[in-house]
Amino acid sequence: MAAVTDDEVIRKRLLIDGNGAGDDRRINLLVKSFIKWCNSGSQEEGYSQYQRMLSTLSQCEFSMRKTLLVYDMNLREMENYEKIYKEIECSIAGAHEKIAECKKQILQAKRIRKNRQEYDALAKVIQRHPDRHETLKELEALGKELEHLSHIKESVEDKLELRRKQFHVLLSTIHELQQTLENGEKLSEVEEAQETSMETDPKP
Amino acid sequence: MVTFQAHDGPVYSMVSTDRHLLSAGDGEVKAWLWAEILKKGCKELWRRQPPYRTSLEVPEINALLLVPKENSLILAGGDCQLHTMDLETGTFTRALWGHTDYIHCLALRERSPEVLSGGEDGAVRLWDLRTAKEVQTIEVYKHEECSRPHNGRWIGCLATDSDWMVCGGGPALTLWHLRSSTPTTIFPMRAPQKHVTFYQDLILSAGQGRCVNQWQLSGELKAQVPGSSPGLLSLSLNQQPAAPECKVLTAAGNSCRVDVFTNLGYRAFSLSF
Repeated sequence: MAAVTDDEVIRKRLLIDGNGAGDDRRINLLVKSFIKWCNSGSQEEGYSQYQRMLSTLSQCEFSMRKTLLVYDMNLREMENYEKIYKEIECSIAGAHEKIAECKKQILQAKRIRKNRQEYDALAKVIQRHPDRHETLKELEALGKELEHLSHIKESVEDKLELRRKQFHVLLSTIHELQQTLENGEKLSEVEEAQETSMETDPKP
Repeated sequence: MVTFQAHDGPVYSMVSTDRHLLSAGDGEVKAWLWAEILKKGCKELWRRQPPYRTSLEVPEINALLLVPKENSLILAGGDCQLHTMDLETGTFTRALWGHTDYIHCLALRERSPEVLSGGEDGAVRLWDLRTAKEVQTIEVYKHEECSRPHNGRWIGCLATDSDWMVCGGGPALTLWHLRSSTPTTIFPMRAPQKHVTFYQDLILSAGQGRCVNQWQLSGELKAQVPGSSPGLLSLSLNQQPAAPECKVLTAAGNSCRVDVFTNLGYRAFSLSF
């Protein structure tokens, strides 16, 4: 057990060696001067040595208090750094989330842009075709013209029919007249032939 | 890096599901397990050949498309038909006729189960998967605004966003509104484009030039990012929601390098073999 504690003592001494070189020596000097003071005889020397010892003691106490304050300060700095570290971590996480949000928004915006461009492309094609009202009006006008023309055609056809029928009647009456005239001529020819044969017969 | 001989001839298209890699070349489609590939094995899982009209012709399969809702694969290529194959049973369910020349590219319209196919005959045809019939045909070269007769009428690349479609190749790269079959925006790019895809609010295209072009839907060129091959043939975006960190765009073309873009603004690095 003594060896373990010795190791620790050595380690601790080595660790604080840089800081406390002066202090360590001062404490050793104090102990030695205390022993000397206890062994010394005269009053004045003893008093001056006593004063010197008190001053070294106060110096030691001062440096100890300084190191304690530094230790406190270090602890508080550590806490401060921990806090800042946590804050930075939170903001990093927040920034990650914002990045993800922004990426989603970019995708959405790209989709919107694509839709708009598709709309534009179709609109360009549609614009090339003429306006619907105009074409409807043109269609109406054409329809009316068509009706009008068909009316005219019907009336012309009716007239044509009528004329055809009248001509037919005329022609048929002419034919009949011709027939009756021919018949009449034939009859009169036959009668003449009969008269001449009757005249020649009663003579002998 | 794993290399293995997959087909005897050239491989014209590949597509990947969660567990399998499907590759197609001259007449056959083969499947490989990703787990095996990562362990550097090279045994094929299965191979299938769609039923061709005659057994003599072995047309190449130019495009593969996965339809996740039906768990099926659509193949299209030199025999001018689209074949659908069910991935679970391996049987060929439909054969869609209509194209008069070989088919270059396929695209899937998500909301209604329709497939678009574009080919050498200059027409983009929409097929309804439920009725197995052709629903709409858009003959791109017949529209004056986008046809470029000196380049030909072939449709090299196709991409769709349910209501809209981008197609390019011989005719200029154009954005079409599918419901009205009207071309709305023509992208002023002289070189024929070989691959096009929609991404967020942009259209990415790559073709004979060195760069990956980013267009806005209004027809403006937003950016041109140069790659390392003199001509680019294929782009691929990894957009799986499971791994948002691995969201990359890869581009490959006429050289032995594959460019990887992590941010669409610049090329991150290239893989070469």
